[in-house]
Amino acid sequence: MAASKSEKGTSGKASRNAIEHRDLKFDAGTGQETMFKRADLIFEGVDHAHGSYEVRVFLNNKKADETTARSAETGYAGRFVVFGHGHCFGEEGHCDASIAAIPSPTTAPGGGRQHPMTPGRHVLTITEQLDRILNAPGKRLETLTLVPVSKAPRREERGGLTDLFKFGGVSLRTYR
Amino acid sequence: MAIRMSVGGASEDPVQIGRIRNAFARIKSLGDERGFDWFAAVHGLALPSWCEHGSPLFLPWHRAYLYYFELSLQSRLGPRFTQIEPQVPEFADVGLPWWDWTSDESHREGIPGAYMLEEVDGEPNPLAATTIGSALDDRRIFTGIWSASLVDAVRQQIPGAISDDGPPRTRRDADAPDELPRRATVDDIVLRQTTYQFFTMSLEQVHNDVHGWVGGSMSVVPTSAFDPIFWSHHAMIDRIWYLWQISELGMDPPTDLMNTVLAPFPMTAAQTLDIDRLGYDYAVQMIA
Repeated sequence: MAASKSEKGTSGKASRNAIEHRDLKFDAGTGQETMFKRADLIFEGVDHAHGSYEVRVFLNNKKADETTARSAETGYAGRFVVFGHGHCFGEEGHCDASIAAIPSPTTAPGGGRQHPMTPGRHVLTITEQLDRILNAPGKRLETLTLVPVSKAPRREERGGLTDLFKFGGVSLRTYR
Repeated sequence: MAIRMSVGGASEDPVQIGRIRNAFARIKSLGDERGFDWFAAVHGLALPSWCEHGSPLFLPWHRAYLYYFELSLQSRLGPRFTQIEPQVPEFADVGLPWWDWTSDESHREGIPGAYMLEEVDGEPNPLAATTIGSALDDRRIFTGIWSASLVDAVRQQIPGAISDDGPPRTRRDADAPDELPRRATVDDIVLRQTTYQFFTMSLEQVHNDVHGWVGGSMSVVPTSAFDPIFWSHHAMIDRIWYLWQISELGMDPPTDLMNTVLAPFPMTAAQTLDIDRLGYDYAVQMIA
């Protein structure tokens, strides 16, 4: 499922539509599901072919945006930074990761590599933050709000919302 | 044996930091595949870009990259990655300094002073910035990197990654020092990972954060290695990997990757695992 709700512009600047809300319900209840030593958010298929950006993650705060304080009170759970390639400097097709590589007799030992533009995986550990939610009144994780913020080379262009964030999906994993 | 010291430790000794500066100045004057420009281009532009990101080869590839770069600093590198007797004995044991961006000093000052001074003793400081070799100047460049059209394309497509006009030059535009990764992140999250997969992803995440923090050329893959601070940033990343390797949690990359050649370098992932065999070590300071 495509994550971005707006088309990518050359500037990467975006409106509030770039903010993604995901239902990721996790009920504390009284069951054993709250007995975890660690909780990770796993983001799959994260695009890194364009400019660099960071994704700020808020729990149970649909109003969060790029100006929201990064604190426990706002449900801030952490962030990850995507180190982007900026632009495709090759000819047409050069950076198209959807064209699958195939093994060949000249493949170097160790096998073929993945296409360098293959969307990546990012992991954000949110153990304490999830634990805090589940120990609060209501005891339920309802939503993730993902706020993509520009990490442009120029500082004055950094910090605003960007529509560069595209990803395949996100899951929550807990471990005992 | 090259001892890689912290930038702070190396900077306390004018002889040490002076030797590092001079070694950088020397390889910046080399217009062939032993030179700074060639090494920086391997990571991004001009194409092809060889670097590994978002893959389990991120750490082995960058260790190989730093290994050959350090050989060049030591004047021990010949064509096609051959090792030769040091051509400048003074540089034979130069070690890449590591930038501890978790330190109190970094959270107070940001980029270390040794990398910020524009001039030292009246000469341009080779650690402060890089003027990228191109057809726009008359330097003796023999590797065909950075044509004028490529300079134009970078300026148009990634504004702020290099200077806006004149000879292409690296630039920085750093965030507030206290936004750098904290020691607790490294000690309590990264170094406590219990699998190689999660360790490399966790460390690469912190690595990405610092690239974005420095801004300018460092903020995107294609231009990042032209900024001299790149090499001390990656020495820090390599050091954290080493600390995890020797901890009780450390483990090797997946076995099916061990024989992977870390192109363009003639080294496999397995050959990167033992820094003692690679001839370097990490220290905070060294007193002879």
